[in-house]
Amino acid sequence: MNLRQKLLLLFSLTVAAAVAAVAWTVLVRIRLVFEQRDQQETALFVSQFQREFQHRSAEVAAAVDHIAASERVRTMAFQLVQSGDAAPYLTEAQTLAQDAQLDFLEIVGPDGKIVSSAQWPARFGYFEPIAWVDQPTFLKTEDLPDGTSALGLFAIRAVGRSESTAQPVHIIGGKRLDKSFLADLPAAPGMQIALYKEADQSPSTEQPHLGPDFAVFDPKRLINATGEVPYAARYEHLIDTAFNSRQETSAILYLTDHREDSVNATAIPLKSDRGEVLAVLTVSISRSGMVQAQQHIRAIAYGVAAGGILFAILCSLWIAAKVSRPIEQLARAAEQVAAGNWETHVPERSRDEVGLLARSFNHMTAELVSQRERLVQTERVAAWRELARRLAHELKNPLFPLQLTVENLIRARALSPEEFDEVFRESTQTLGMEIANLKTIIGRFSDFSKMPKPELERIDVREVLDRVFSFYDAATPDGNAIHFQTRFPTEPLLINVDPELIHRALCNLVLNAMDAMPNGGTLTLSTNENGEKVEIRVADTGEGMTPEECERLFTPYYTTKQHGTGLGLAIVQSVIADHAGTIAVESRPAGGATFVITLPRSSC
Amino acid sequence: MLAENQFLIQLTDAGDGKHPPCCVGTGPFQLAQGLPLSLVANENYWGGRPFVDKVEIVTHRSVRDQWLDLSVGRADLVEVPAEELRQAQQQHLTVVSSPPVTLLALAVSDSSLLSNPNLRSAIALAVDRSALSNVIFQKQGEVTASMLPGALTGYSFLFPTDRDLNKAHEVRGGLNTPPLTLAAENNPIMQLAAQRLALNLHEAGFNVQVANAATVLHKDLALLQLTLASSQPQAALESMLRSVGVVTPVVENTPAGLYKTEREFLGTHTLIPLLYLPRAFAISGRVRDLRLSPDGSPILAGVSLEDAQ
Repeated sequence: MNLRQKLLLLFSLTVAAAVAAVAWTVLVRIRLVFEQRDQQETALFVSQFQREFQHRSAEVAAAVDHIAASERVRTMAFQLVQSGDAAPYLTEAQTLAQDAQLDFLEIVGPDGKIVSSAQWPARFGYFEPIAWVDQPTFLKTEDLPDGTSALGLFAIRAVGRSESTAQPVHIIGGKRLDKSFLADLPAAPGMQIALYKEADQSPSTEQPHLGPDFAVFDPKRLINATGEVPYAARYEHLIDTAFNSRQETSAILYLTDHREDSVNATAIPLKSDRGEVLAVLTVSISRSGMVQAQQHIRAIAYGVAAGGILFAILCSLWIAAKVSRPIEQLARAAEQVAAGNWETHVPERSRDEVGLLARSFNHMTAELVSQRERLVQTERVAAWRELARRLAHELKNPLFPLQLTVENLIRARALSPEEFDEVFRESTQTLGMEIANLKTIIGRFSDFSKMPKPELERIDVREVLDRVFSFYDAATPDGNAIHFQTRFPTEPLLINVDPELIHRALCNLVLNAMDAMPNGGTLTLSTNENGEKVEIRVADTGEGMTPEECERLFTPYYTTKQHGTGLGLAIVQSVIADHAGTIAVESRPAGGATFVITLPRSSC
Repeated sequence: MLAENQFLIQLTDAGDGKHPPCCVGTGPFQLAQGLPLSLVANENYWGGRPFVDKVEIVTHRSVRDQWLDLSVGRADLVEVPAEELRQAQQQHLTVVSSPPVTLLALAVSDSSLLSNPNLRSAIALAVDRSALSNVIFQKQGEVTASMLPGALTGYSFLFPTDRDLNKAHEVRGGLNTPPLTLAAENNPIMQLAAQRLALNLHEAGFNVQVANAATVLHKDLALLQLTLASSQPQAALESMLRSVGVVTPVVENTPAGLYKTEREFLGTHTLIPLLYLPRAFAISGRVRDLRLSPDGSPILAGVSLEDAQ
């Protein structure tokens, strides 16, 4: 991963993390605020509902009180107690209920039997338990002729209770808790009120065919002011919990697969005086506002994150332009310098650290060039000096005899002709030898100075080595202490070289190896592939060289031999370099030496 | 009051072009106008021309409205349902009532759900006649378990009328039925009686839903009112059986024979007699000599009106 990508990743993560943190905080806060608001609204509604409930209770109680106190009812009660004949009052409850605008009204005689019932006229004569006399109002489920039951708010009053009457007549009146009741409740906007009435769970003597398992949740029994509640089945668990725990219960309900359709629902159990839950009032507040706000914030967060990432990209590009590109340029320049192009220059575009680095680099390369020039100059001077020294040394040897010979000739001129002729013959012979020697020396210098340009051919390196091996192995007389061996791979190793120049170079190395083993040894020619390169090794088991000798080995005119120009290895190095290869030596004192030539492999 | 259709003799044309054709029977009145229904005295009535010249009949008036009309002088003769008799008397209306001539009975279908005779028998044992009579019909009815009234036959007491809920459960033997439909006329008293019967049957383990006879398609039970068509027991029984779909003529005319016929039919429990109810009418102060026929209908031929001052 380069700097640009790291910067991009860093900026993107920073922006995304920051946006995510802020968005998460805001979302949590929104949720808390909305939930708090919902709780407050629900609590407010509950208190309002309780007030409305009390108001209704008071209405029912007042209506029943009025009925019980009416002259008509008191007269009826008196007649009932006196005569015990309830037949004339069969329809009385209906009339009284209609007048008092009550949904339920029953007149119960002194014997506890129903005299008249407004909601179920045919129930006359059946016993009605009077168990709520001490309650001002109470909740009760009332059975109806059609087999259903209704939840109502009831009040019970005794008529004309006195010491003379053992059991008085009772008036039980009530009002339904139904859709109209729900419609009158003060619901806030977005709030849904519903009522779930459980079916009668106890096997009734009037309905013995109904089994005990009659408490299965029925979505149709959950009603609101307009009728059935949509998605009523989703309320099952909440309502069941309220029924079982007999406590107010809250939960978030997802009415559909969409979060906007979720609601904060609270279930309020409505209990009878004995504590059993007769119905559950559900208050649902839509969470669509909160969900929409959250979605809006998420969208903004995504947008900001996307914008942030885009900004991060731009920043990273800008930073890359400002920082990494100059650094990359520096790196490329350094590569070029390493490749030998010391003239490399990087632009200095800024005054900051990067600019300082560029200036330092340019200064370094300038210094390197200058130093190289000086070094080259120095080496050239040194080389010239060495050349001059070597030349002087090489030329001095043959020149001294030449000088002596000329001096002898000059002195021999004073001799007799016969002695002069002899001296002249010897001297001319000596002159010829030394002049030939001079010509040889000068010829070697000339050869070194003008190496021919290689004419490349694609050949198998094994053929070249085999040719060298064959030449020297055949040329070596029997009994020589030097043993020649080869190690070649079975597969051909193709290289693009000038066969003659490589042959000369290898011959030079073989001769040096032979010179290094005056007392015999083993000379090994081997080759192998090394990736995209081909290695050629010429190894001897001679005296070896010190590390210092290895360093200077390829310097022109450097030699460890008593005689020789010292140009042989320099020529080998030049040939190898002309073939884009390298040559190195591995050696230690008394450990022999191995020259390793590395040449590029010919591509197929 | 009007000649029955089977006694219609002819449709005559007065021939003078002034009077429309009208039905002429052997009764004391002729139809003068369709709506409102208007009858005029038949001059040629074999029993002698009626005292009243014209009778106007107004239909589809509630009992309360009829009584109001009576009280303000817009009507001379109004209906008094059996359950309102006591109240009419309390209001000091002049009431003329017949003996019990209307049988209130529960018809039980013997097909599909109630094909098992034990179920029908359990239903018969579960009904509470006394509650119907004492409360709903304000003690104006006569509890009965026979098709003909005791006053006509003398053997009505041989049919037990008491309710036996335990035996009803025993006879039912734990058999369960789907909800049954009890059809009744869509008037308050019949619906109330049907509701009471439904409660009685609930106690016996039957699930019964009350419905309007005019709208329900399938009836498992039906609350009927059958009128005693004749003062002759044989004719009355035959007429009553015909009205419940039994077309076999009654050949027996002795009390024992009639008892046996009734017993055989009632033993199938497809008809459960409950009450015999009278028919009654309230009359205005100027109506004289109103008598009721054996079926409880008023005999207008002998009625006279006190002249208005």
